[in-house]
Amino acid sequence: MKLDYAQLLESNNLLQINGDETYWLCVTRTVQESKLFPVPAYMLMSYLNAFYRYPALLRKIEDHMSAEEVGDRARHMGAKANAIAMWGLPCFYLLGREWMINMGLLRPQDAAEDVAYILDFWKRFELSFRRNSGHLTAFEGGHRGQIHSEAQLQVFHADLYDCKVGDPLHQAAQAFVASASQYAFLIACESRISLHNHGPYNLGDDRQMIVRDFNDIAEYDFPWLDDVAEAVPYNNLTVTMATRGVNFNIMDDWGSFESDPEFKDENIVGVGLYTSGPLSDGFLPVGMGSREELAQTFLDLNDKVKDAMSRLWQKMAGWSRDQMLDAGALTYYAIIKDLAHIAGCYDPEDWIKIDHRAERFRPLLNDEYSRDALGEICVGAAPSHQINEYMMMMHNDAPTRIYSPIPYSILLDGDYAPTVGGVEPGITYLDEKKDVYRTTEGTLSIDEYNARVRKFQPELHKAENRLFCETSVKYRYDTPEADALYKLYQKHSRNLVGKGAGLRRDEVEALRQKSNRG
Amino acid sequence: MTKLFLDTDKYGDESPSAVVAAFHGSLHEIVRQRLEESGAEWKDFVLGDATTLITKKDFETVDRTLVDAGHRYDWSAGISQKERPDAYKPADGTSDADLATFCFVHPDAPLANPDAEGRELRGVGDNVVRYKENTTGIARYIRSTDRVLKWLTEGVPENTIAVIDDSGGTLTAPILEQFKGVICAGGTVRSHLGILTREYGIPCLMNAKVNGIMEGDTVTIESTARAKTAEDYQGQTKREVTGNVWRIAKREE
Repeated sequence: MKLDYAQLLESNNLLQINGDETYWLCVTRTVQESKLFPVPAYMLMSYLNAFYRYPALLRKIEDHMSAEEVGDRARHMGAKANAIAMWGLPCFYLLGREWMINMGLLRPQDAAEDVAYILDFWKRFELSFRRNSGHLTAFEGGHRGQIHSEAQLQVFHADLYDCKVGDPLHQAAQAFVASASQYAFLIACESRISLHNHGPYNLGDDRQMIVRDFNDIAEYDFPWLDDVAEAVPYNNLTVTMATRGVNFNIMDDWGSFESDPEFKDENIVGVGLYTSGPLSDGFLPVGMGSREELAQTFLDLNDKVKDAMSRLWQKMAGWSRDQMLDAGALTYYAIIKDLAHIAGCYDPEDWIKIDHRAERFRPLLNDEYSRDALGEICVGAAPSHQINEYMMMMHNDAPTRIYSPIPYSILLDGDYAPTVGGVEPGITYLDEKKDVYRTTEGTLSIDEYNARVRKFQPELHKAENRLFCETSVKYRYDTPEADALYKLYQKHSRNLVGKGAGLRRDEVEALRQKSNRG
Repeated sequence: MTKLFLDTDKYGDESPSAVVAAFHGSLHEIVRQRLEESGAEWKDFVLGDATTLITKKDFETVDRTLVDAGHRYDWSAGISQKERPDAYKPADGTSDADLATFCFVHPDAPLANPDAEGRELRGVGDNVVRYKENTTGIARYIRSTDRVLKWLTEGVPENTIAVIDDSGGTLTAPILEQFKGVICAGGTVRSHLGILTREYGIPCLMNAKVNGIMEGDTVTIESTARAKTAEDYQGQTKREVTGNVWRIAKREE
């Protein structure tokens, strides 16, 4: 990657954007600790693994598919290629870099080509993934995560089933969301990486819709779900949820939300359920044939995830510290692994191993050092963060910044090491992953899965559909091209199949109400 | 002596953490030594020879030096203390026997004598969701996987208000649904435990500063208090937003 002044200016800007957001996200929580998992220790290990491996693995992905195409495809599924994953891409890499600077193992200019490439990949993915809102991050968009196009939102909206507190569907959906959230935290070793929310989307009449994704809940990439999650039939589930009487005023890139007033289960007035993945060409309804079927589906899934959670907890409670550390580190580090699935080049050796260069640091990672070192690098308290006393950071008056910029002086003296190079061998204390991957086309081996993905040409991503954007629709909704595009989104819709591009939100609501009245 | 880039940091102060400062000080010396031994320029060393010259054994030495000097690490994950009891501080308050005498003692917990209703203030916390009524139950500490495993098998005792110092959602994952309320000594309302109690509709105070609540005491948490927001945490609202924790009755000895 050519490093010139313009490139470095952009890299340092992107680095600062992610740093400002990271500070805000961290300061509204505390350092995460757990009596079960050595959380700060595994987080630090994940950052090192990201530092050593992301550059080569992102280049490998781009050998198959560009970052912007991966971003476009990711928008059409509720997989782990979402806002939190893509916040983590630069963040985990850059926190690893920052920690190494403080340990004296790296200067801000070292690995400069990797830093610039990571940030460039991130930018191109985000700009395509979020092209419907036009933002780079939820933070930039005023803490709104509005990802989808009208065509997709109309389908989610139209197919929502009404529900209210006390009715069977409401109870079943609420119970599933609570259990799935807890299961997701456990799968992700205490992190929030397996559950995500985005939106809100305005349904009118004091209603907003949020979209809630649960990822990696079946036998898929994580060896610790082998066998225990065998009965979970979907790897990714998306719950669409209409609410009344609450305004979601924060929906951040971690998928955390705040609302005014506080969101309670009594605010839920409509639900839907979908699955998706790299082979699905959009969202597939799950149990959406009738209200009764949907309620029963939530109940069945609730039983399955609760059983899997109980079995998984007992498995994890018997782990050694090294196993816990590996599982957490790999969960964090592999936050972007679904990019490789989307590109059809996933290899468990790339994503479910600790690179030997990172593994060296394990003896440092006791609970106390990890807690303190993590706290310092996340909130700008380490020596590398300190800048001249005239400056004040975005969120407070301290003269600090979260990440060290690449110094421009490298354009004068060329004094930097460009890259960490390729992926090197890795190890893990965990059991080997079974070659079993739950996809929307059933359970596949990884070779078969990759082959099918590489062969798959989603209709939504043919150029005439991919580039027919919201602005194109605005002025050309009455064309055959727009109609064909909307019909693609509508092909699995209970209430919109074949309706085409001409409907407005109120007309969709009328169709929905008519259907709900039966 | 070989110079490192850190030796001429104009603005950076030493780490505020003693352990981080000690570890990093040792690491800087190791880097300096290995760079000198390699005879290479930094830019050739840093992502080249450094990877093989600075080994896992070096990092083990950094750790061992501090432990041998008498330092005992704070622990957060039970497994850390269990596997290396010689390197960590003792694990108080984790066994049933310990819990006969253990309690959280937060120095900033507000305390007051019983009011007209017999409620003795023993602390405050950040309310996650505002409910219509306060929540009363029996305080029971959960600080180990052993207790979770026991209650997973036997069921959580009725009316339990879980007192937890773990703001995560995994320690109590299989039994959380059975709690009547939660008092968590860490985290914020946006922490994982806060998120999960909201999903389950369980009243919860996070970031609780409590003092003297014993295993088996009857307590009330002020779940009718205003919920704390991100703006409150950032100090933008300039208001103090907390819910009280009262002891209603001491446990029967």
